[in-house]
Amino acid sequence: MRVVIAEDAALLREGLTRLLEDRGHSVCAAVTDGDALLTAVAEHRPDVAVVDIRMPPTHTDEGLRAALALRKEFPGTSVLVFSQYIETSYTAQLLEGGAAGVGYLLKDRVANVAEFTAALERVASGGTALDPEVVSQLFRASRQRGGLTTLTPRERQVLALMAEGRSNAGIAAELVVSGGAVEKHVASIFSKLDLPPDESDNRRVLAVLQYLGG
Amino acid sequence: MGEDIRRVTGTILRAPLTRRTVRELLYCVLGGLAGMAGFWITLVLLGAGLLVSASVLGTVVGLLLLTVALRVSRRLGALHRRLASWLLGYQVQAPQKFQPGAGILGRLDRRLRDRVAWRAISYSLVKLPVAAVQLYAVAGVVIGLIDMTYPVVWVLFRHHSGGTLHPMVALIPFPVGGHLKISTWPGTFLVAVVGAVGVIAATWLARGINAGDRRLARALLGPSRVSELERTRTLAVEDAAAELRRVERDLHDGAQMRLSALAMNLGMAREKLGDDDEHADNATVRELIDAAQRNAVDALADLRDLARGIHPPALEVGLASALATLAASSAIPATLTADIQTRPAAAIETIAYFSAAELIANATKHSYTNEIKINIHTERSGVLRLEVTDDGIGGADAARGSGLAGLAQRVSTVDGRLDVSSPPGGPTTVTVELPPKA
Repeated sequence: MRVVIAEDAALLREGLTRLLEDRGHSVCAAVTDGDALLTAVAEHRPDVAVVDIRMPPTHTDEGLRAALALRKEFPGTSVLVFSQYIETSYTAQLLEGGAAGVGYLLKDRVANVAEFTAALERVASGGTALDPEVVSQLFRASRQRGGLTTLTPRERQVLALMAEGRSNAGIAAELVVSGGAVEKHVASIFSKLDLPPDESDNRRVLAVLQYLGG
Repeated sequence: MGEDIRRVTGTILRAPLTRRTVRELLYCVLGGLAGMAGFWITLVLLGAGLLVSASVLGTVVGLLLLTVALRVSRRLGALHRRLASWLLGYQVQAPQKFQPGAGILGRLDRRLRDRVAWRAISYSLVKLPVAAVQLYAVAGVVIGLIDMTYPVVWVLFRHHSGGTLHPMVALIPFPVGGHLKISTWPGTFLVAVVGAVGVIAATWLARGINAGDRRLARALLGPSRVSELERTRTLAVEDAAAELRRVERDLHDGAQMRLSALAMNLGMAREKLGDDDEHADNATVRELIDAAQRNAVDALADLRDLARGIHPPALEVGLASALATLAASSAIPATLTADIQTRPAAAIETIAYFSAAELIANATKHSYTNEIKINIHTERSGVLRLEVTDDGIGGADAARGSGLAGLAQRVSTVDGRLDVSSPPGGPTTVTVELPPKA
């Protein structure tokens, strides 16, 4: 996996680089602001970019804006946004153009190296990785809304894990249930959310997006 | 004693010759004329407005006249402020601008309740006697100067041979019994002396009445107490918001970042340990745990600094001991003398503490000094007075340095004041005066 990192704190930038290189990935560039990120991606065309949201010069959301620009200009590069905070509006903007090749994780997640790299790999190969915090925020935001309130607690749990980008097998392992049981829950979620089967099989993503779109 | 008398006498006698006198007199002329005109304009508009609105038919016209009076008074107020600033170098802060309401009635309502304009009207009315004295002082100077020319005039125009000479009549700017008639040349010198005395007296009269006028202008043409409170309250709220932003930023860039790095180090160390004892990469694990430990210690230090920045724990004990800690941790040797009689309010202590911290930091950064002196004491009036002095290069300016300006703002939110004395070449003394209660 070829990675570009944009992170202004030297400690984390170097830590991430080392962590990824340890696991056999190649870090093409590690930069400190949004403009440098776009330049580096244009030059190296990596599989995935890991982007901090708050970077110089304004330390507000330049990372997010750079990530959105990346999504538009370099569809071949996936983006994992990596931050101390989860903002629901950021999630909505990130997922606006579809959930393929997008991730949004709290920096805390790096503590579990295996899970973090698995999430990064998933994003790099066109999947989705949303932080459990993102998902629970979405749940909270959508509690007032129709469809989702009809879900059982177990279905909610399954949907949360789907939103994190897990496969059915991954969900089964996490919840310690059989694959068949997970499939049943998923089908029930789709029908409760009124998502008919289609050929592109994007229902998983659509289910997650329902929290956002309202 | 004799020395003092000579000095004071010198000052009194030399006063007419100074530049300041010229400006004060010019202010008397312009301010006096503007005041006279302003009084009559205001009186006519106001009187006509009130009279006409009292009659049922003329209400609309009357109210219009009133609003014109109020608008004009604001303009006149601005004119007087400008004159005072230009000629006397006396700055009266401009009051808040007029906020028009919505619709004709709304506008009218706002106009009629415009406190600034009503205060300006009261200035215009009170100004009449002041303006009279100002113009009188100018007349006194002019008359005195004319009297002083008598000996010369006598020589030039009266020293003809033959014919009877009319005596010259001395001009005296106040009614005394009869006229002082002079028929001899030496007598004209007496008139000249009287004129000189008159010039000096009128000069001081001008200064005195202008001082009174300044006070009036400050009280009636400046921002009102209420609007001043509103202004400082806004500053206080902005200050608090900026402070919270700073704390959030420090947390984000400091402790949070270090703890993230710590978590990453531990995660990587856990990876290196593997799942069985034989394949552990001990050297790398040790290195990672060392890094994790460093990050934990740094995060603690960051949090401690941040906590101190929010509220220094030593302030619980008292301002003096908090300042002692502050002085001890200064990069440049700092000595503290403290004499705090009664303990000020907590908010005052906090502001005094952060003022001292900011001033010490300023001196350390900009003054190239070798020693900082901090003095804090309670004055007899109860005012808490903090002085931070350094013998560095000087040239500090509250108007330029954003740090000092910010501090002055903060101090003004509790009705305190900040003064800077910092001639080029030093020494620099910044004085902060705070009331005992916020």
